Amino acid sequence: MSALQLEGVGFTYPGAPAPALRRCSLRADGGAVTWLMGALGAGTSTALLVAAGLAPRHTGGERTGTVLTLGLDPATPSSATALGGRVALVLPSPATQLSGIAETVAQEVAFAPANLGWPRGRIHEGVAGALAALDIAHLAHRDPGTLSGGEMQRIVIAAMLVLQPELWLLDEPTSALDAAGRAILHRLMRSEAARGAAVVIASEDADGLAGVADRLVVFEEGRPVLDRRPDVLLRGGEVWAAGAGSTTIAELSRATGEAEPRPLTVEEGVARWTR
Amino acid sequence: MNARLLALLPAAIAINLVIGGLVNALGLPLYLDSIGTILATVLAGPAVGVLAGAIGQLLFGLINGYQWIPFGLIQVVIALLAGLAASRAGFRGTGRSLAWGLLTGLVAGALSSVISYVLFKGVTATGTTAVVTVLRQLGWSLPAAVTASSLALDLVDKAVAFAVVGALVRSLPNRLIGRFPRAARAVGR
Amino acid sequence: MTLPPGAPASRAHPFTPLVLTLAVAVAVVSAPGPAAAAVLYGATILGVLAAGAGRAALRALVPLAPLWLFLFLLHGVLGEGDRIVMAGVSLSRDGLALAATQACRLGAIATASLALYAAFSPARFVDAVAARGWPFALSYLVVATLLALPRFRARAAAILEAQRSRGLRLQGNPFRRARALAPVTFPLLLGALAEVDERGFALETRCASGVTRRTPLDPPRDSVTDRAVRWLAGLAAAAMVCWRVLT
Repeated sequence: MSALQLEGVGFTYPGAPAPALRRCSLRADGGAVTWLMGALGAGTSTALLVAAGLAPRHTGGERTGTVLTLGLDPATPSSATALGGRVALVLPSPATQLSGIAETVAQEVAFAPANLGWPRGRIHEGVAGALAALDIAHLAHRDPGTLSGGEMQRIVIAAMLVLQPELWLLDEPTSALDAAGRAILHRLMRSEAARGAAVVIASEDADGLAGVADRLVVFEEGRPVLDRRPDVLLRGGEVWAAGAGSTTIAELSRATGEAEPRPLTVEEGVARWTR
Repeated sequence: MNARLLALLPAAIAINLVIGGLVNALGLPLYLDSIGTILATVLAGPAVGVLAGAIGQLLFGLINGYQWIPFGLIQVVIALLAGLAASRAGFRGTGRSLAWGLLTGLVAGALSSVISYVLFKGVTATGTTAVVTVLRQLGWSLPAAVTASSLALDLVDKAVAFAVVGALVRSLPNRLIGRFPRAARAVGR
Repeated sequence: MTLPPGAPASRAHPFTPLVLTLAVAVAVVSAPGPAAAAVLYGATILGVLAAGAGRAALRALVPLAPLWLFLFLLHGVLGEGDRIVMAGVSLSRDGLALAATQACRLGAIATASLALYAAFSPARFVDAVAARGWPFALSYLVVATLLALPRFRARAAAILEAQRSRGLRLQGNPFRRARALAPVTFPLLLGALAEVDERGFALETRCASGVTRRTPLDPPRDSVTDRAVRWLAGLAAAAMVCWRVLT
């Protein structure tokens, strides 16, 4: 059984002229990093909200098809309770994801475990581990509201990591992060997958994820149209046809009119162009 | 209490207090401390509006003195009337919003003057108290002076508040209104 | 306003200042006349000083001064009944008594409220409610709102500045000042709504609406003194009410 299963899912936001998802079928397994990419409006963010059950429960709208998150339909209220603490969701803007009642970073990261009734010892241990993993242990006693966007985003990620979730849903998590933060997140995604969690990330950051993801699913107009290993897809021309992009080096290669397969990294580009 | 309400209520209450403070700082003879209550009602129903108004007034009292807490009853009344207005598409246009606001102002003003007189013998908000003092100088009795000043202020204040909330909700994109079905009904969509 | 470190008010269990302030409010509103009200006002000031929140007594004078002035004018100068003359001004005797009672009532309430606000610690309050097993929504709403206030105020100030640099005028007659409201309130409200959306997602994901009893992270100590003070305050307030009702 996959950690996430969407079968023929359609979703239309209330008052929207067109569906955001059309007959979308997607599977994401534990132990792997699944990367969703698509142009604006292609449906990657909606797919994550549907997977979390927040669409339609919070957003309203109509959903068709079958969604199974960790074996449960996340849109039903009883599943919401059953899935509590097992699914992590990270959105692009950190400030709005903060709890609003924490006076220190440590309290912020402890928010969800405390809500779940964990014993104090387990909470403190988990918080210390999560802060260390995101390299923000030195911020433990700071007020989250006074920190930079990048630091806040690390706190949000740590606040999810502490739960040791079975499924990660990340929507453009790196837009607020600096280079060091991105590197930490990529390492974290691999270690979470190694732990057995399913990591699903929607992102345009091809440079960062080319070497991190196990699978690349390209969305176009509300459904996946390409689904293969990232290096295979990114070297070819189909990603461009589908309205998505590739790594910077591949873009450069394409712009100079070279033939496929394209180089993906700086090393490959240098190797090819300085022959 | 579901997570959406947990996110909405603090914002609605903060809106009450902050816009009220802004109006105060601008030195305007208005309260505009019920915009959050009305907005919460339009978005999520009168029960939520009552909560926003009541808790907001409690916190206002905590910060500025318990003497303000009895006026929480007025916030409750505003939420109920805003709920009535919302259920009848009362925010469909500026005219309708103003009309419903005036009605609410009438009820709120009457209630406010009763509370003002019974509990404080006419002394609370510096603005109204100034009007009361002037009217007394002109020979009006204390109850009459308190009632008149309360009513006039509340009529204008609630009319403006309803108009502001109506204009805001009408200007929301479909996507955002869709998350709040009651709001769509309130503006007649 | 912050308390000096080690002040008794900050070491007390979070419910103690709450109960004390409520007791002051009930007692002073029940006080039958200017003498009782004045005594209670004095006791409140002493209590606030003892708790280490003495500045609250001074800070309270800021909103109180104009209210006291109006009380004096409204009831003392313009009041009815027997007149007495003081410093060449004709004043109503009953009016003065009423003004004095109200002034002391408002003074006690304002002082206690400000002291409570200074002593309030969001994290300790959340932990105190959690330790009692009461619903999380209760403490969440109170604390999230209190912490949202400075954020919203800062945002309103920023919007005000931005609009001012675009030519918004804040001085002048009331109508011009009133027109300044829309360009500030609209962006504030729209921003708030967008935030509510995303924060709802985050709170749901982090199980804020669950039914599990929340774990207190650092439960505040509820000492014997705390409980004694709360009981005494409650009894004193009740006694005051009884005295008022029975006499």
